[in-house]
Amino acid sequence: MQDTHTREWFMLGALVAIWAFFAWQEPVFLSARNLSLLSIELAVTATLALGMLLVLLPGHIDLSAGSGVGLTGAIAAVLITWHGVPAPVALLLATLAALVVWALMGALVVVERVPAFIITLGGLLVFRGLHWLVINNSTVPVVAGGSQNTYSMLTTSFLPPLAGYVLAAAVVAAMWLVSQRRRAARAKLGLPVADRERHVIGLIIAAQAIGLVVIIANDYRGLPLALVILATVALLVHMVTMHTPFGRYLYAIGGNEEAAVVSGVPVRNTVIGAFALMGGIVALTGFMQTAYSGATTTTIGSLMELDAVAACVIGGTSLRGGRGSVAGVLFGALIMASLLNGMTLMAVSPEIKYIARGGVLALAVWLDLRVARGRSS
Amino acid sequence: MSTPVLEAHAIAKRFGGVIALRGVSFALAAGEVHALCGENGAGKSTLIKLLAGIHPHGSYDGRIEVDGNEVQFHSARDAESAGIAVIHQELALFPDLTIAENLLLGSLPTRYGLVDWNEALTRARTLLADVGLTLDPARRVGTLGIGQQQLVEIARALARRPRILVLDEPTAALSRHEIDTLLALVQRLRTQGVACIYISHKLDEVFAIADRITVLRDGAAQGTCIARDTGTTAIIALMVGRPIEDLYPRRQRKRGEPALAVHGLDAARDQRAAPWLRELAFTVHAGEVLGIGGLMGAGRSELLLHLMGLWGERRRGTVALGGQELPPGDVRAAMRAGLAIVTEDRKRLGLVLDAGVAFNLTLSSLRAIARHGFVDDAAEATAAGAMVADLRVKTATLETRVGALSGGNQQKVVIGKALLTKPRVLLLDEPTRGIDVGAKLEVYELINRLTDQGQAIVLVSSELPELMGMSDRIMMLHEGRIGGEFERSVATQQALLSAAMGIAPGRAA
Repeated sequence: MQDTHTREWFMLGALVAIWAFFAWQEPVFLSARNLSLLSIELAVTATLALGMLLVLLPGHIDLSAGSGVGLTGAIAAVLITWHGVPAPVALLLATLAALVVWALMGALVVVERVPAFIITLGGLLVFRGLHWLVINNSTVPVVAGGSQNTYSMLTTSFLPPLAGYVLAAAVVAAMWLVSQRRRAARAKLGLPVADRERHVIGLIIAAQAIGLVVIIANDYRGLPLALVILATVALLVHMVTMHTPFGRYLYAIGGNEEAAVVSGVPVRNTVIGAFALMGGIVALTGFMQTAYSGATTTTIGSLMELDAVAACVIGGTSLRGGRGSVAGVLFGALIMASLLNGMTLMAVSPEIKYIARGGVLALAVWLDLRVARGRSS
Repeated sequence: MSTPVLEAHAIAKRFGGVIALRGVSFALAAGEVHALCGENGAGKSTLIKLLAGIHPHGSYDGRIEVDGNEVQFHSARDAESAGIAVIHQELALFPDLTIAENLLLGSLPTRYGLVDWNEALTRARTLLADVGLTLDPARRVGTLGIGQQQLVEIARALARRPRILVLDEPTAALSRHEIDTLLALVQRLRTQGVACIYISHKLDEVFAIADRITVLRDGAAQGTCIARDTGTTAIIALMVGRPIEDLYPRRQRKRGEPALAVHGLDAARDQRAAPWLRELAFTVHAGEVLGIGGLMGAGRSELLLHLMGLWGERRRGTVALGGQELPPGDVRAAMRAGLAIVTEDRKRLGLVLDAGVAFNLTLSSLRAIARHGFVDDAAEATAAGAMVADLRVKTATLETRVGALSGGNQQKVVIGKALLTKPRVLLLDEPTRGIDVGAKLEVYELINRLTDQGQAIVLVSSELPELMGMSDRIMMLHEGRIGGEFERSVATQQALLSAAMGIAPGRAA
């Protein structure tokens, strides 16, 4: 217990340090406009990382996610721009394709026992190649110049200020209600409950954070739709992992696959389901990332799988499976997105960016191992 | 008695708020075999880990002396160089390396900078001979049985010529013959002046080998007895803190309807292998305990796992539950039909150690406590809480990590998980292995309660007294076939052993 708390405080300190550093170097980092952009970038990184969590929990990994992001975004863009397919239909088709392909990869992993590392490494190359084939190595916009469609709106639309405030108030009220009911239920069942003061302080801090986000967002153009999408995905993944049998199975398989089999856990269907969900999330991330760039190019999605893994691990997800949470992943994604955003602001050269990303990834995994060692001894 | 080779003074150790040892003193004389007894959680393993340097100096209170001089172990290496060798319960061998490599790792003989394999194999063969093994040292350790691996592990410890040997449950996985080899080895080491601390749940072994016995309970030493002046009951009373009347409290019930029926069953490890289980046919009735015995490798565990759909390929025959035939190889169908298993290896096959008590308890029955596709937290806590109370699982909360519980309590969680599926037939594979006397009794009482409620139980055990004490009927397996079947009333150790060795192929029941 003590160990994990040290880790959380350390990570919080790291985030504060990162923000302080960028704010000092580039005061524009804290401007409403940049924070709004950062929140969209966070939405993209974090959504993919939440999908990665679903695959990491049962002890697998998806290295093809970044290429998948490029490919699904490209398929949708090509369907719209070159074939005149309506945007919603194009998004749906690309999503279905991703669901099927990722379910197939999951099946190869769990039925044929090919390590996920290899299968998805293959996927990384295959999808990248397909991506370039699909777009003919050119740049394909997500919508004809100057107009808007469902696709482009993913990252260009913002909630009007009032809607933002109403939404924030509703979320805070819901949080208060749910936590209140949960506390009552736990107390009734004789389970330990955090003491009242801490609980209320926690809620107030959360409410303030949400309020602050909306105020800053409204200072620019309003709450970005992408952030709302991220919140929805986060809520769904949280519900799935913490409150469904499927989620329990993910943790059980990652914790001890043999015991899970003996306990009658449907290991095959669970892992295939996790990969399929990952496919859906890859498609969604692909749309957001491509829409954010305005067009699909050969570099879209490149290396995003590693940012997603880094976000998960920074957030306390174990690469061996069985441990990880949505809140942690969101936090890890915020660190990654802040780093990338800040470095771009400082006009850091791509060489240095690569080195920094790699360093953070290695550091996070090393920390993860330290924690695991602390537990086992 | 001369100066003790090893002495522990008033050792106290706590893990956070949990007190593991509260002022234990303990002395090991030269050339003596000193048994440490106590229930799981009594503090034996903690004490051993202190002596092995795993819990370093400074993490505990008290003093450890070797030959009368205080020592401060900061690592396992320090303890080793003081002449202490510890064989832990969990094996620490490299399955993909050869026996010779395992034995001599770190001290492989070299010539001109290359490994001198002839010399290595010769040395390895000598070391193997010391523990009574005549194996090819070039074999991969992974191809050996657990018992042989255990002996290899001991040979490796002896290669360092320790003066103090600590054996933690060394015979848990050994066959009768291997146990005898091991006990003889310990006797011989004693004559060579090696002092030995011997930890075992098997009191017959303890009495066969030990000069003195120290009993621990709740982290405190309850007393040290001279083995030949003491009896089993006295030791058990010290261990559990109260006298035990009947070790095997089986109350037989009337046999009900047939619950599990197996006909002409042949099964093989995989598609290519020859059948391992052959011509198996038996019926278990409601309210009945069918005991299954046999030597290591007779196919007991394989049979239970195969019934669940977890092992091997069916060649012939049927398995039916309440008249309804089970599809082979489908564990979920078996569970839905009312079959549940408590596996022998609870850490590997039974538990998600990093997850909580409730998580593990409800893992097999999540569908029953899910509403509209969501786990109902209240229903889960109620079900898990009732099971914890019912089985008297000692745990701080329902969310405590299972890995932090003692062996007996872990076993109760595995049993509770099976019971929450509301099985009609419960398969128990060595349910009391590695758990202490108190927890054993609770398992036996539970078997009585379940059969009173009309459940059928298949009990696999390698302890003949347990098999004879708790079964209504006993079936001995010999090389995958039925070696003999006995009613409880006519079963004798002699007859059961003969059947297990295939000497009495006829059916005595």
